[in-house]
Amino acid sequence: MTEKLLQEVRKFPPCRAACPAHVNVQAYVALIQRGKFKEAVEVIRRDMPFPAICGRVCFSPCEDACARVNLDQAVAIRALKRLVADIEREQGRVVAEPVPKKYGEKIAIIGAGPAGLTAAYELAKLGYPVTVFERMDEPGGMMRYCIPDFRLEKFVVANEIAYIKDIGVEIKTGVEFGKDITIKSLKEDGYKAIFLSIGTQLGMKLNVPGEDLEGVINAVDFLRAIALEKKITVGERVAVIGGGNTAIDAARMAKKLGAKEVMILYRRSREEMPALPHEVELAEKDGIKFYFLVAPKQIIGENGRVKAVECLRMRLGEPDESGRRRPIPIAFSEHQYEVDMVIPALGQIVETSILPPELISKEKRGPPLQVDPLTLETNVPGVFAGGDVATGPASIIEAVGAGKRAAVSIHRYLRGEDLRKGVEEEKIEETTWVKDWRLLEKKERRYDAPIEKPHLSFEEAKEYLEKLKRQARFEAFRCLGCGPCAECLASMDLCEGDKAVVDEGKCVGCNVCAVVCPVGAIKKNEKGVAQVNEDLCKGCGLCAARCPERAITMKKLSDEQIITMVLTALER
Amino acid sequence: MKMESSNPPKIVCFMCNWAFCEEEMRVPYNVNVIRVMCVGRMDPALVLETFANGAEGVLLVGCKPPDCHFVDGNLHAERAVKMLKKLLALAGLEPERLKLLLVSPLEDKDFSRHAKGFSEEVWKLGNSPLSKEEIVANLIAAKEAASAFRLRVLLGREEELTEFMNAYGEKIPEEEFDALLDDIVRAEFIRYKIHYLTRTKPRSVKELAQILGIKPSAVLRHITNMRRKGMIALDHVEGYTPLYKALEVR
Repeated sequence: MTEKLLQEVRKFPPCRAACPAHVNVQAYVALIQRGKFKEAVEVIRRDMPFPAICGRVCFSPCEDACARVNLDQAVAIRALKRLVADIEREQGRVVAEPVPKKYGEKIAIIGAGPAGLTAAYELAKLGYPVTVFERMDEPGGMMRYCIPDFRLEKFVVANEIAYIKDIGVEIKTGVEFGKDITIKSLKEDGYKAIFLSIGTQLGMKLNVPGEDLEGVINAVDFLRAIALEKKITVGERVAVIGGGNTAIDAARMAKKLGAKEVMILYRRSREEMPALPHEVELAEKDGIKFYFLVAPKQIIGENGRVKAVECLRMRLGEPDESGRRRPIPIAFSEHQYEVDMVIPALGQIVETSILPPELISKEKRGPPLQVDPLTLETNVPGVFAGGDVATGPASIIEAVGAGKRAAVSIHRYLRGEDLRKGVEEEKIEETTWVKDWRLLEKKERRYDAPIEKPHLSFEEAKEYLEKLKRQARFEAFRCLGCGPCAECLASMDLCEGDKAVVDEGKCVGCNVCAVVCPVGAIKKNEKGVAQVNEDLCKGCGLCAARCPERAITMKKLSDEQIITMVLTALER
Repeated sequence: MKMESSNPPKIVCFMCNWAFCEEEMRVPYNVNVIRVMCVGRMDPALVLETFANGAEGVLLVGCKPPDCHFVDGNLHAERAVKMLKKLLALAGLEPERLKLLLVSPLEDKDFSRHAKGFSEEVWKLGNSPLSKEEIVANLIAAKEAASAFRLRVLLGREEELTEFMNAYGEKIPEEEFDALLDDIVRAEFIRYKIHYLTRTKPRSVKELAQILGIKPSAVLRHITNMRRKGMIALDHVEGYTPLYKALEVR
C-alpha cells in the first residue's frame, strides 16, 4: 500500500496532502457520513496504526489545510477520528488476523515509539518477520511515557499496540540498545535490516547556574517518572520553563498532583508559543498562570533546595530562522519568582552516548545522525533511521510518516530495488473542486468529541451512542470531498465511481454542461468540444441530464441502464 | 374521491444515493426504488419515459438544500420538475403524479411513511381520464420534446439566466422566464405531437388541428417551423389539401 502510494502520481485532497502520514481523510469522513463507523477505522488503519491516539493528541495539520475554511470552519477531523476509534474500542477490541510471512529476511526495529511501531506495522503487513526492541518495560515510547494520562490514556496506547502485535509484530521489551544489543550483534543474529527510531530521550538543559539543585527536574523525566508510577513529591509552587506541549503537560500534571500554584515562564509572547492553542486554553482553565517574555538567569537555592528563580525580562527582536521573533534580554530587569520546584521543558535531544560512533555525523552543528531525508538511509548500509532521532523532537504523526517512509525504503532495500525511484519526484497535487463558493451554504462547526464518558444506564448509553453517532455524521456531512474518488472501498452501491463521457461527434459546444457541472470538471477544449477531466468528475450525472444534444453519457449508470431498471421494476 | 382501480398504483422512485443512506429501508411493495448518484441526474426525458412505460407515479427523492453533495443538484431537479409538470399537464396526466421530495439525509429516517403517503395520493387520482393509447402517444411526444435541444438548453441555462446574466448583461426576472418556459414547453410539445401523429400516415393541417384541439392557423405555423428544421415535409396534395409526413429526426 505504502509503496503504491509513493509511486503513483498523487492527487490528494488538501487534508490528505497536509498529513505527514497521508492518511486518507476524505475516505473515512465519507464513511462516517454513511454511518459506517467500523469501516472508517479500517480505512484509517490502512494508513497508520494509531487512530485513537491521533484522534486525541494529533496536532491535526489536516484541519489547518481543510478547504472548508474558505467558507466557514474546518471539519472537525480529529474529533471524528477519535469518536470512531473510541466506538470501536468500546464495542470490544478488534483482533486483527496475523499476516502470513511472505519473506524470510528478519528486520530489527529499535525503539517502540510511533515511528518504530509504524515501520514494524507496515513491514509486517508486507509479510516480513519484524522484531521491535524496546528499552522500557512497555512499548509506546513517548506516547506511553510522556503524554500524561489525562490527554492520552494508557489503555488506549496499549490497545493500539495490541493490534500491531496481532498482525505479527514481535515486541521485546527491556532490551537496551547499546548495552544488550548493538548493530553488530543484530547483524550477527541474522537481521538483514535495522531501523533506528530511538527518539529524543534527554531533556535539554537550561544552562544556568543552580541547575543541579534539588527540586529541579526536567519535564521529560518528570512525566516519565509519573508514568512509571514512581513516587514524586511536587512542590507547592512550581515554575515550568518553556512554551511547548510538554511544558503545558508538565504544568497541568503538577497542578493535578497537588501543587498550589503553577506558573509557566516563556521567553516569547503567547503568539509564538508552539503549544496547541486548545491545550493552552485547558491549562488556563486548570488555573495555571502564564508569564510571558521572561527567561531564567539563575536558580537560587537554600540548603541545596530550590528557593527561587531569578529571571530577566525580554523584548522581541527580528524574526529568526524559525520565523519566530527572537527574544532579547533587557538589562537590569532581574526579578525573582519564589518557587520550590523548577521544571525545565525546553525540548529534547538525542542520547548520543548510546549511538554507535560510526553513525554519528562528523559535523558539530546540525542533527547528530546523518540520514538521507528522503530514503532514511544512514551511512551504514542496511541501517535506517527516522523519527525524532533524525529530525529532532516533532509530533506523533510526523513520526508515523517517517515510519511509513522507512518501511518503503527497507522493503526496497531488501528486494534490491532502487530506493530513490519515484521518491524524488514525489509531488503531491492538491485538488479542491469547488467551482463557486457562493453556491455553498454555511454550516458552522459545532462539534467536538466528548472528552469524558458519562455514567449511564444501559438504555441511556444506547441513546447516548445514537446521539454521538448522529452528531458525528452531521459533522462529517460538512466535508466537501475535495479530492477525486476517495477510494474508501465502501460497497459499490454507495458510490458508483461513475464518470461522464462526451460523444465528440454529437457535442455542439453549447457549454451547458460546463455551467451545470458543480465541480468544474468539464471545459471546452480548443476544438470547441466539451472535455471531461476524469480526476475531477464525481459522476453525479448532472451534465448527462442536461446536455441538449444528449452527447454525454455516464459510464456506469447510463440512460439505457436506468430505463432497463425501470422496465424490470415495472414488470414485477 | 372514488377509487377507480383496486390495485395500488405502480410507483417508481428515483432516489439520491445519499438520502436514507443509513439503514435498511422498508418500502411498500408497489414502490420500486432505483438509486441514482444525485436526484439532479434524472433527465426529464427519462422521467417521461418511465411514465410512458406504465408507471402511475414517479417520486424523486433528493437532499435538502444545504446537504446536496453536488452543491445544487437538488435545485437542478427542482427546475426539471417544474418543467415536467407542465409537460405532464399538456400530455393529459395529473401533474400530482410526479413529486420531488427533498429530505435531510440525517434527520429523515422513515422513507416508508413518505412512500405510503405519495402512493395514496396517486391512488386517489385513480386512472387517467384519457385512453391508454392517447396517453402513451402524448407521453412519447412529451419525451421527445424533452430530449430535444431547445427545452434542454433552456433548462440547462435557467440558473445562469435568472440568477446571473445572459450574454447581453441582462438578468431575466423569474416570472418572465416562467412565461417563456410555458410558451416554449407548449410549442415544443405540440410540434412533437404533430411529428408523432404524422409518423404513421400523412395528415392535413385541418385533421391535425382537430386532433390537437387548436386553431388550424397555429398548426400551420408550427408546421412551417418544423419544415425549416427538417422535422416534417410535404408528402403529397389531395385535391387542394396538402398532406404532411414526418421525417426521421437524426
